[in-house]
Amino acid sequence: MSRLATGGLIDRSCPLTFSFDGKLYAGFEGDTLASALVANDVRLVGRSFKYHRPRGILTAGGEEPNALVTLRSGAYAEPNTRATAVSLFDGLEAASQNRWPSLRFDLLAANQLAAPIFVAGFYYKTFMWPAKFWEKLYEPLIRRAAGLGALSMLPDPDHYDREHGFCDLLVIGGGAAGLAAALAAGRAGLRVMLVDEDARLGGRLLAERHQIDGIASALWAEQAAAELAALPNVEVLNRTTLFGIYDGREYCAVERVADHLPQAAAGQPRQRLWKIVARRAILATGAIERPLVFGGNDRPGVMTASAVSTYINRYAALPGRRAIVFAASDSGWATAADLIDAGAQVTIVDPREAAPAADTLRQRGADILMGAVVSDVSGAPVRRVTVRLADGSMRTLPADLVAMAGGWSPAIGLGSNLGAKPVWSEKINAFLLDDAPAGLAPAGAAAGHFALGDALADGAAQAAAAIADLNGKAPAPARYRTSEDRAEATPLWHVPGKRGKAFVDFQNDVTDADIALAAREGFVSIEHLKRYTTLGMATDQGKTSQLNGHALLAAATGKTIAEAGTVLSRPPYQPVAIGVLAGHHRDAHFRPERRTASHGWAAAQGASFVDAGMWKRAQWFARPGERDWLETVNREVRMTRGSVGICDVSTLGKIDILGPDAPTLLDRLYINTFSTLPIGKARYGVMLREDGFVMDDGTTTRFGQDCFFMTTTTANAARVMQHIDYARQVLWPELDVQATSVTEQWATYSVAGPNARKLLQHAFPAIDLSNEALPYMGAAKFAWEGFEARIFRVSFSGELAYEVSAPALLGDRLIRHLFEAGLSFDAVPYGTEALGVMRIEKGHPAGNELNGQTTATDLGMGRMMSAKKDYIGRAMAQRPGLADPARPALVGLKPIDRTLRIRAGAHLLAPGASAVAANDRGFVTSAAWSPTLGHAIAIALLTHGPDRYGERIIVHDPVRGGDVEAEICHPVFVDREGTRVRG
Amino acid sequence: MSVADLAIEQRLGLGIAAVMARKGASHAAIGAVLGADLPDRAGAAFVQNRAVIGVGPGSWLAVQADAPPDFANGLATQLIGLASVSDQSSGYRVLRLSGADARTLLQRGLAIDLHPQSFGPGSTATSVIAHIGVILWQVDDRPAYDIATFSSYAASFEHWLDATIAAL
Repeated sequence: MSRLATGGLIDRSCPLTFSFDGKLYAGFEGDTLASALVANDVRLVGRSFKYHRPRGILTAGGEEPNALVTLRSGAYAEPNTRATAVSLFDGLEAASQNRWPSLRFDLLAANQLAAPIFVAGFYYKTFMWPAKFWEKLYEPLIRRAAGLGALSMLPDPDHYDREHGFCDLLVIGGGAAGLAAALAAGRAGLRVMLVDEDARLGGRLLAERHQIDGIASALWAEQAAAELAALPNVEVLNRTTLFGIYDGREYCAVERVADHLPQAAAGQPRQRLWKIVARRAILATGAIERPLVFGGNDRPGVMTASAVSTYINRYAALPGRRAIVFAASDSGWATAADLIDAGAQVTIVDPREAAPAADTLRQRGADILMGAVVSDVSGAPVRRVTVRLADGSMRTLPADLVAMAGGWSPAIGLGSNLGAKPVWSEKINAFLLDDAPAGLAPAGAAAGHFALGDALADGAAQAAAAIADLNGKAPAPARYRTSEDRAEATPLWHVPGKRGKAFVDFQNDVTDADIALAAREGFVSIEHLKRYTTLGMATDQGKTSQLNGHALLAAATGKTIAEAGTVLSRPPYQPVAIGVLAGHHRDAHFRPERRTASHGWAAAQGASFVDAGMWKRAQWFARPGERDWLETVNREVRMTRGSVGICDVSTLGKIDILGPDAPTLLDRLYINTFSTLPIGKARYGVMLREDGFVMDDGTTTRFGQDCFFMTTTTANAARVMQHIDYARQVLWPELDVQATSVTEQWATYSVAGPNARKLLQHAFPAIDLSNEALPYMGAAKFAWEGFEARIFRVSFSGELAYEVSAPALLGDRLIRHLFEAGLSFDAVPYGTEALGVMRIEKGHPAGNELNGQTTATDLGMGRMMSAKKDYIGRAMAQRPGLADPARPALVGLKPIDRTLRIRAGAHLLAPGASAVAANDRGFVTSAAWSPTLGHAIAIALLTHGPDRYGERIIVHDPVRGGDVEAEICHPVFVDREGTRVRG
Repeated sequence: MSVADLAIEQRLGLGIAAVMARKGASHAAIGAVLGADLPDRAGAAFVQNRAVIGVGPGSWLAVQADAPPDFANGLATQLIGLASVSDQSSGYRVLRLSGADARTLLQRGLAIDLHPQSFGPGSTATSVIAHIGVILWQVDDRPAYDIATFSSYAASFEHWLDATIAAL
C-alpha cells in the first residue's frame, strides 16, 4: 500500500470499499478513483487506443488521457470515464477498457507488431486494394477493432434536469484566481455564480503546499468557500463543469448532482444542465501541465509532476518510492520536495544549467543532474530510466516513478468557443487568450500568471474591473501575502535520439514520429496536422498534447510556434452525456403533445391515435373482431355515408379576424372575395403564398360586420397565423384589423351523413336546422349549457354535414351529448383515415395536394381567382411557368383491373413509354380503397389531365413495384352533382 | 426527505379574453373600461378579481375570476370601437403556483430571470417551458405566480411539472 500514514485532505474516519476489474480495494471519503488506485499500488489502468500499450494514470485532473474506465454496470454503465474525475463512493465498481481478455494480458497488443503500418494516415494508404474488399471485409474489421469503451445498449435509467442561472459575474473555476475574484465580487454585493468541476473549491491550493496570509493554502481555500457559502448573493456550484460559451453571454454547464452517490435519491436527477446568462465572466480555469516527449513517456509510472504532488499532498498517496523528477520548470522542484518529504528517494534531471532550489534539495538528499535529459524509460510499470548527462554520456537509473514538469499551458479552450484565436506568448512559451468574447476575461494561471501571488492578485483585479464596469466604481482590490512560488520554465519540446516510442497524444496514440511523417507528407498546416495524425481529436481534445505537437510541427517545418499557430478548442470542453442535453425530452416526451377535448373519450372508445404535427388525432376506432385497420376504416366510411358519423376536427386552425378592415384584409389574403360574404354565411377560400403557389385552404364565416372566423388546415395553422400577422403588421399596418388564434378555444366536431340533420335536431331541439333555416354554407350561434356554441353547415365528406363547436372546456360533454343523440341513428365515431377516404372520394385537395408546388389552377380552382381585386400571390401566379396549361393538373384515376391497388407517389407514363424521367407525365398524390365504389381510387396531378378523361395511363411504381394500368377520370368519384351536401 | 414549500392550484371558472386595440384607440380609454391602468409593456395590472396582462403592442389578456359564461361577449360590447375581443376562456389553462419553492420550480423551466431584483409582482413573461409556450405573471411576493398554457398541452405540461417537483 502506498497510503501515507498522515496528511492529505481525505476523511480517514470514512473508509470505503470499491472494486476495479473485479478486485476489491479500500479507500477513503475524499479520494478519487485514481487516488485510491494510486494508494493501492494499482499501476496499470488501461490499454491505449491504437497500440494497446499498457497505460497508467498520467495526471490528477480533468485533462487525464489514459485512465479511462467503465464506471458502474448494467444500464448504468458509463464508458470512458476519467478515473481522476470520479469521486470515490462506497461500492463503486469500475472496469478497465480496450483490452481482451484482461488488462495484464491483452491479445490485441499484437497491434504493436504491426506498428510500422499503423502510423498516421494508415487508413488512407492501406486497405485500399482490392477495392471491392473495402465494404465487405476491411470496413467491418476496422469497425470491430475501433472505438474506445462499449455502451451497455440499454436505455438510460437515470433522469436529467435543467436549470437557468442569471448573475452579474460568473467565475469559471474555483482555484486561487477564481476564489479571489468571487470573494471580491461577492463582498461588493454583485450577484455572483462560481462554477467549479471539483468536489471542493481550491484547485491547486489543495494540491500544493503554500501559505496565504499566514495559513496553509488548503485551509485558506476552505475559509474562502465558507465565506462564499454564507453570502446570500453568491451561488457556488461544485462538481459542475462549464463546457461551452455561446452567443449572447450564455454559458452552459453540467452539474453532477448524483454521480458521486451510489444511487440518485428518488426523483433526483443524475445530472443537471445549467444555462447561465452572465453580464460579465472571468475565466479562472488555471493551467495544464505539459508532459515531456521522450522514449517510453507513456509507460505506467510516468506522470506529470503536478499530479505526483496532488496525490501526495491532497490524497496522501505516494505514486512511487524511487522517483526521477524530469523538471524543465521550477514547479517540478516543488514536486521533488513533496516526494522527499513523503519518504521517496529522488533524482532530479533538469535540462537547464542552474536552478535556485538545487542547493536546498541536495542537502535534503536529492540527487541532482543539471543540463541533463531523460531519454528513455523502460518497464511496464517503470523499472529503468536512461538519462543523457550534460557531457553527453548516458546513465541508467533504477526507478518506479518518473515525474514530468514540462511547463504550463493556460487552459483557455473555452475562450475560443466563439472563434477567438489564441496568440503565442514568448514570455510564458504558451498560447494566451487574446480578443476574448464580449464580457469574458481570463484571470490567474489561465491568463499566464502562474505564480500563486500573481494569480490571486490577478483574480482580484479582474473582479475589480468587472465591478467597476457594472457599478461605476470598485473598492481597491484585496492584497494577499503568499509563500514563494517559482514559476520559471525553459521549454524542452523534444528529447532527440531516444530508442523507445515517444508519445505526444496519449489517448489517440500519436507519436513524435507521426508528426514528422505528417510534415514530410506535406501536411504542414496546423489544421491538417490535426486531422491527418488525429492529434488532439480524442475525448480530451489534446489538453496534454496540443502544444507539444504544435512545437514539433513548427520544428519540422522550420517555423516558429507563433507562425505555425494552434487550433481552436470546441465545446463541449469535457465530454457531456447526451442525456443531460435531452433532459426530460426523451422517448414519448421527446416533444410535447397536443390533445383535443375528446381525447380521453376517444381513448376509452379504443381509438388508435396518429401524430398530426404536435397533435394526437384519432386515426380509427377498431371494434372487436375486425381483422385490420382497413376493415375498420371501410366500416366507418360505410356507416357515415349510410347513416351518420362524427369526427373530431378541433385540430384545424381557427382564427378570429376582427375590426373594420377585416373584409379588406380577407380580400387581400384569399384568391376569392370575402368582403361580399353575408353575415351568417361561410365560404371556402384558397390562400396563395407571395410566389403564387397555394399555401392553404379553409372556410371563413362571417358572424358580424367586423367579425370573421377563419379555419385553416391543421398543418398550416401556425403558418397562416404568421402570414396574417405579417400582412397586418408589415404589409398593411394602416388597416384597422385585429387577429388572434382561437384554435384552442373551440372544440369542433363534424357530424356527417344522411341522418346528420336528424341527429343534430335531436341534440339541439331549440335550433331550427331545416334546409331553409340553415342552408348549405350557413352558420349560426346558439346557446348550449349556458355557453355560446356554433353550428356551420360545411362538408368535407360530401355528405349532408355540419360542424358543431363549443368552448373546449365543454368539448368532452359535447361529444358525449352528440353520441347520445346519435344512438338511434347508429352514429359511428370516425377518425382521420375514414376522413381521408371520404375526401379522396370527393376529389377534395388536402395536404398531399397543397404541397407548396401546386397552383390554384393545378387543383381545379383557377376560376376562383378573382379578376376584380388584388391579393397576395396574384402577380407571381401569372408567371409563365405557373400559368402553363401543360402543368400537371388534378384528375382522378381508377385501375382498369378493379382488384388492383394504386399507390400514392407512383408516377404516370403514357402506355408504351419507357420508364425514364423524360417520359414522366405526373404522379399520384392521394390514393385509397373506396368502400363506396368497391375498388381502389386515386387522385393525381397529370399533364393536360382534365382534357384526358377516359384515356388510359400507366401508374408506374419503381420503389414498390407492380405497374398498374388506370383510367383517367373526373376527380370527384361520389355524388358529382353534390346533391347530398345540399339536402 | 424534505417537503417542498409549494402549492399548485388550477384556477377554474375563469373568464379569459384577448383584447386587441383598434387603430387610434386610446389605451387609457380601454383601460378605463377594463378598470385598470393598462401596462404599456410586458406587465400585469391587477384590479379586484381581474388581471390584465400585456402580451404584445396593443394586445392584452384579461383574466377574470368567477366570470359569467358571456364574459368575453360582455367585454366586446363595452369595448365597441375601442378594441376587438376574442373569447379565450377555454383556450388557456391557468395554474397558480405559490410558496418559496415556486420560484425555484419555475426557474428550472424558464430562461427568464425570476430573481426579485428583476421580476416581481406585476412582472410578466411570454416564453417557453419544456417546448411549451407559457404566459407567466407574478401575483404577489409570497411568491405566487399564475402561468397560462394552451389547453391542449395540459398533459405534457403536467409531465414537466411532476418531474421537476420531484427534484425539488
